Amino acid sequence: MSTIVRLIVAASFAWMLPCAAADAPVKPLDLRRVETVHGDATAGTAKAAVCAACHGPAGVAIAPTFPNLAGQSATYVYIQLKEYKEGQRANPIMTGQAAGLSDADMRDLAAHYAALAPKAAGRPDASSRGAVLYLAGDPTLGVPPCQGCHGTAGRGPKPAFSSSPQPSWHSFPSLAGQSSLYVTQQLGDYRTGTRVGSSNASVMHGVTQNLSDADIAALSSYIESL
Amino acid sequence: MHALEAKVLIFGIGVACASCAFAGDTSGTMRVGDMQFGNALDPRGWTPMLYPADPDGMSYLHAGMLRTPTGLPYRFPPAAADVKPLGKATDWTYSGVVELGFIHVGGGRNAEFFRQYADWKSGFALGLLALDFQNAKTGQYVELRGSRLSGDDQFYRLRAGQYGRYRVEAFYRDMPHTVSTNAYPLWNGVGTSDLTLPSPLIAGASTPGQVAAAHAGSSRRTIGLTRTREGIGIEGTVWRNWIGSASVTNEKRSGTRLWGGSMFFNYPFPDNGGVLETVRPIDFRTTDVNLSVRNVGRIWRFMATYTGSFFRNNQDHLNFESPFRLYNVVGTPQVADIKYGQFSLEPDNDYHNVRLDLSRELKGNGQFTVAAAYGTMRQNDALLPPTTCTGTGGIFIAPPVNYTFNCADWNTTNALSQKNANARIDTGLIDTRLTFRPTPTFGWHANLRWYREDNKTRYLAYNPITGQYGYISENGSQGSIVPGESGIFDPRNPLLHSANVTVRNVPYGYTDTLFELGGDWEVAPKQSLSATYTFDHNQPKYRERKRVDDQRIKLAWVARSVGGATIRASYEYASRTGDHYNYDPYKQFFSESLAGFVDPVTGIAAHTVDDMRKYDLSDRTENKARLILTYPWGDSTTLSATFYGSRDRYDTQIGRQNTSTTGATLQWDWQPTPATTMNVYLGAEGTRLGISNVADNESLIGSNIGQTNPSLGGPLYPYANQWWEFDRERNSNAGLSFSHDFGRVRADVSYNYSGSFGHVGYNYASLAALAYHGPNAAAAAGDSFPDNSYRSNSVDLGLSFRFTNQLGMRLFGRYETGSFTDFHYAGFDNTLDYDHRVYTDKGPQRHYSASLVGAMLNVKL
Repeated sequence: MSTIVRLIVAASFAWMLPCAAADAPVKPLDLRRVETVHGDATAGTAKAAVCAACHGPAGVAIAPTFPNLAGQSATYVYIQLKEYKEGQRANPIMTGQAAGLSDADMRDLAAHYAALAPKAAGRPDASSRGAVLYLAGDPTLGVPPCQGCHGTAGRGPKPAFSSSPQPSWHSFPSLAGQSSLYVTQQLGDYRTGTRVGSSNASVMHGVTQNLSDADIAALSSYIESL
Repeated sequence: MHALEAKVLIFGIGVACASCAFAGDTSGTMRVGDMQFGNALDPRGWTPMLYPADPDGMSYLHAGMLRTPTGLPYRFPPAAADVKPLGKATDWTYSGVVELGFIHVGGGRNAEFFRQYADWKSGFALGLLALDFQNAKTGQYVELRGSRLSGDDQFYRLRAGQYGRYRVEAFYRDMPHTVSTNAYPLWNGVGTSDLTLPSPLIAGASTPGQVAAAHAGSSRRTIGLTRTREGIGIEGTVWRNWIGSASVTNEKRSGTRLWGGSMFFNYPFPDNGGVLETVRPIDFRTTDVNLSVRNVGRIWRFMATYTGSFFRNNQDHLNFESPFRLYNVVGTPQVADIKYGQFSLEPDNDYHNVRLDLSRELKGNGQFTVAAAYGTMRQNDALLPPTTCTGTGGIFIAPPVNYTFNCADWNTTNALSQKNANARIDTGLIDTRLTFRPTPTFGWHANLRWYREDNKTRYLAYNPITGQYGYISENGSQGSIVPGESGIFDPRNPLLHSANVTVRNVPYGYTDTLFELGGDWEVAPKQSLSATYTFDHNQPKYRERKRVDDQRIKLAWVARSVGGATIRASYEYASRTGDHYNYDPYKQFFSESLAGFVDPVTGIAAHTVDDMRKYDLSDRTENKARLILTYPWGDSTTLSATFYGSRDRYDTQIGRQNTSTTGATLQWDWQPTPATTMNVYLGAEGTRLGISNVADNESLIGSNIGQTNPSLGGPLYPYANQWWEFDRERNSNAGLSFSHDFGRVRADVSYNYSGSFGHVGYNYASLAALAYHGPNAAAAAGDSFPDNSYRSNSVDLGLSFRFTNQLGMRLFGRYETGSFTDFHYAGFDNTLDYDHRVYTDKGPQRHYSASLVGAMLNVKL
């Protein structure tokens, strides 16, 4: 079995494994004051060879199990690597991959993927249930619109200027084009509290509380089509 | 539930959650429910639920604590409550707190100011009962909240609903209001509508000495009332975007209140007349009904509202026995035996109001709103007879000079021109507003408002039995002391055909038209200027002026970037003018307007001095300024200060001359961590009022043609009778609160000070200006009344122990002192009886100190 295939298989069944951090709770990362992450994209390119095995050489994942990283917020990528390294987020592959990364490595890798061209836009169905949830939410269920933090096109927030205190917008990921399989998995993890290693994850935990399986599926399909 | 999880739920819009009830008490509107719940033990009504504060702060989205747009800090939110599942197969969870314990009150527990709005009693008290049920899946919730200090000081509230769908609320509340704890009523029957004299006093036949002796044996009573308020309301989606609400509230006020009891003047007629301080019953009920339906669309917004208010008074009169014998001033044998007084108390009345609001978005970032309302206030109570006297009233001098009247002709409702009040006031409102913001930095608005109050009440005081007009003044006492002052006009009787008495009600009303034009500019980032011009055109009816115009310009500057501080400054200039001032528009309401009235040889006394300008109608210029500074000093400290002042000048020789107010506040808020908060507040305000007036030359009344001259400087209002009053008041208050959570123990301390000082000074042109003209008048008068002052200090200490996560104890104490001086009560410590004047209230305690300690067990359910 090739390394790539082993990684795919391992990742596919990773959710079945007990959470590595479950036995020793790690304090969630407070991202409310996180600053924009900068790194050496060129250096990151050199360090991304292993990553490309799953996330693709151009940052577009080779399988729907993995997230696309091309054009992703550098801050978001850096935070995820840091969570894997410190234990706030667990994955049998990523935990191991991140363990040996230095802080500079993580910044460089984040800068590298942020610099890549994102996956081309798709053709979303604006009348779908997923579109309604993404763009308008469902007030009766207490579900806020996703676009408030992830942007109308799913390519990250574009907040208007304001002098009042702002969230750390740069720490919110762009979602456009992520595979529905991956998004479904993540929303499910947020909802069950499996993924709750940061203040942002805590926000998502609340957001997903009243999403049904059908709504998660609809939302995931819409996000993939963005 | 961990605090982290609960906070996340808050983020979900409208999702029911364990922390919602604990995070904020948002009763919000009068549409459903009541506005405020709390009591003296816990003015907020939910303090035990506020602690401990959540160390994670306010939001997972924002770092640190947030501030309002003007820089004031929000408090740290309370940590989410521990919620428990209600069952195995349900999404419902619950949480709750019970605070129950014992309070001991010591010292001057009956001090009026100590218990003005609190029914402090030693004994068991329910500090708080809070029970919340939530369903995070469906957004449904049920909340119960209650507190009880005593049977007259308690509240309970039940809320249920589903977020985004509907809300139901029912509540019950008792709130005490103590008016006096130092009252010594002379009469029996306090609390009823019939006050009778205690034995051995005899109505109309007792001497001042006998009254004083009987009064000395009166026992102390507390005068006050309890407001019992209950209601139920519902608000929710009716259909699609249509939201409806309905509520009914009922407030019953029961108790007593200090009241009057005039049997005509005593000062100018020693050993005669009667000035009595009585006690009246309070037995009211007000029922309010609110109905509304609204539709909020993207372009149009609509709302229709009905408001009804129904007042019912179970006591329509107050009868009292007057102890003193009355004598006529002409010295003839007294034929009248006037010994009872009567007040007609507030009538039952109904109020209805229907209002429609419509709003539409306009192109160009604009909005148009229009509101129209119609209201009507009506009362049609059965009227009371003009008097309760029996036998003969008035004075018989010698044939044919007979000023008597037969009480039987007046003490019946057949003596009325109508049996019921048939009173009605209609109101109308049209209010339109246009708002545009064509660019992000510029906006303007225009407002046109029309309001009318049309009083349709018409009453003519005519007695069909006698064919006479007017009413029996002072229940017959006045006309039994002074000949011809019985209050009756009779065109057929030469003795009464020149009596100028009130015969009609004055149906005051007005029409007000207001136009406003304003704009605001963002002249630089975080800096804006605004200007507003308002023209208020008022047309009063049956007043001294038919038109009063008030023009006002307001300028405001707001800057949010001056060294990190927010500055809000505003200045207003207003000028009020009007048409010709008619000093006496009331002739039509007096008998002089009726057929058969004969002008007396000496004419009719001037209604008032023609240079008098009533303060609400006189020409006036007004200047107002306000400066508010808010300085966020780092993340945890905020300094704020306010300076304000106003100056009003009235363009008149007689009447109010000027008023001024100058004040400042200073506040320091510090909350370095969720465990520590500290606040300091200082405030001071000074006000001044100047009045000019002139006493009439009473020697001319009824005997000299000079009484008809209304001019200042004339025989009736000579310059020598002018006097001036200069009022000065100063209020100051200070507060400090500190709270720190040590972990197992939270300590809190607070201190409050409130003080006021009042000085009434005066000047006069000559002794003729004074009411008292005795030989030592000048020495007695001086140049001011004794100063009034009030001060109170209170210290609160509290320790809250957390024994376990479920069990805690709060120990607390308060020590309060106060002092009070008011010349109106001077001498009452010695006696409440002076000649024919009988008082009831000795006034608030001049010095008092009171304390309370308590222990409350806290149990989380």
